Amino acid sequence: MRRVYLDNSATTPVDPRVVEAMMPYLLDKFGNASSVHFFGQEARAAVDRARREVAALVGARQNEIVFLSGGTEANNLAIRGVAESASEHGRHIITSSIEHSAVRGVCDALEKRGWEITRLPVYDEGIVRVEDVRAALRQDTVLITVMLANNEIGTIQPVAEIGALVREARAEGRRHLWLHTDAVQAAGRMPVDVETLGCDLLSLSAHKLNAPKGVGALFVRRSVRLVPQSLGGHQERERRAGTEAVASIVAFGTAAALALEELDARIAHLGARRDRFETGVVERISDIVFNGDRERRLPHLSNISFRFIEGEGLLINLDMQGVAVSTGSACSSGSLEPSPVIRALGRDDELARGSIRFSLGKETTYADIDYVLEVLPRAVENLRRLSPLYQKALADRACQVA
Amino acid sequence: MSYSERFKEHLSNPRNAGEMEDASAVAEQTNPVCGDRLRLSLRVRGGRIERASFLAYGCAPTLACGSVVAEMVEGMTVEEASRLTRQDIVRALDGLPARRQHAAALAIETLRAALEQTMDDRP
Repeated sequence: MRRVYLDNSATTPVDPRVVEAMMPYLLDKFGNASSVHFFGQEARAAVDRARREVAALVGARQNEIVFLSGGTEANNLAIRGVAESASEHGRHIITSSIEHSAVRGVCDALEKRGWEITRLPVYDEGIVRVEDVRAALRQDTVLITVMLANNEIGTIQPVAEIGALVREARAEGRRHLWLHTDAVQAAGRMPVDVETLGCDLLSLSAHKLNAPKGVGALFVRRSVRLVPQSLGGHQERERRAGTEAVASIVAFGTAAALALEELDARIAHLGARRDRFETGVVERISDIVFNGDRERRLPHLSNISFRFIEGEGLLINLDMQGVAVSTGSACSSGSLEPSPVIRALGRDDELARGSIRFSLGKETTYADIDYVLEVLPRAVENLRRLSPLYQKALADRACQVA
Repeated sequence: MSYSERFKEHLSNPRNAGEMEDASAVAEQTNPVCGDRLRLSLRVRGGRIERASFLAYGCAPTLACGSVVAEMVEGMTVEEASRLTRQDIVRALDGLPARRQHAAALAIETLRAALEQTMDDRP
């Protein structure tokens, strides 16, 4: 059976060039980067090189990159690290209502411990408004955390404008206000530059960039003080204790270098295939709703709600035909509530439950897209034939015509 | 979350989907927690279920359980069908994940509601 992987926002295949780069560090060059001897120094040199490569991807300095286990840990360290370090200056945090659960979960936990959290709306288009950030700013605000691009609908948030706002506030003497952005989905799919963004902290994950799972990074601007969340070692300039995952870090560095080098080509590749997909879907399937602004979004992602049906049934039907996607329906996420991101757009439960995320990768071909366009309309039609909501809609329409 | 092959097979080839013109009983039940819906139509002649059909909206287990129950009860007497339990539905699907058993419960509730109507119709 043909297999088409359209779930690159969940994870990406590891690039063979990345595998090749990391292999020596699993075999001969196995040293601990903290060791003084030859083996250690060989590993240290590799970690330093990877640090330069990851820093270059986001326009940072080498010593502003902290390696850790992935996006979730990066978000935990950024938000808790700043919140705990700045707590004597204030306990108010501004965030958006569509953050990844790794940000949402940390903010919820801080709220239980007495911090105040303002969650900004994103309106119909799935984008935070800068004037809302300005209006939410208080004397005791210590952190703004707004993602660079959303993981379910791909919308790009105005982080650079928020960064300008923070600089303005700082110029007026606000010395304890920091800006964090979760760039896990954005990196490698749009230009990311910490100076342009004006952010103080930025989270990255390697496995969304064609590198292995289990490694990520946090950019920490030099002026930022963080309370480390793991203790007991001097690694990563005291900001993250624990032996560096040398081979994975090397892989991350190589993937970052490739992503930077190939960025323009990847954006063009993804956008062309995504647009062909969306045009094809519109031609073949009725009663659909695109979720999120269709201009200000990442080039690899398309999120569509199919009316009258639930996402999980569609996901399984597509899976049986070799097509891998993901859904905002509650059941498959293990919760009772459908996607909070789709709900935040003002969509009703039915649309939130019927949402499917198609996320392309640099390996996706036109032939893949054409195959999906062949099986998707049939799968939707088959499920709609079962749906009492669809039967009712058909009956209502027949009445209107008559 | 993993589903059995039989489960997936029901999902891609649902049995007896649709409404029924000459149904003796039609019941529709909604799971109040997640909003899943199941609509079951039965045609009963001489105390035996000649035909059963279903419509379903909701997560995959609700669709699969609807398909299973519509297939299972055809040919059964009303008496036999009323003895079916949630476990019978789960068994017919070669199992359901623990957190998804409520879909089988919805199928049985809907079946019983439909069967009750056929009892009302008895002379």
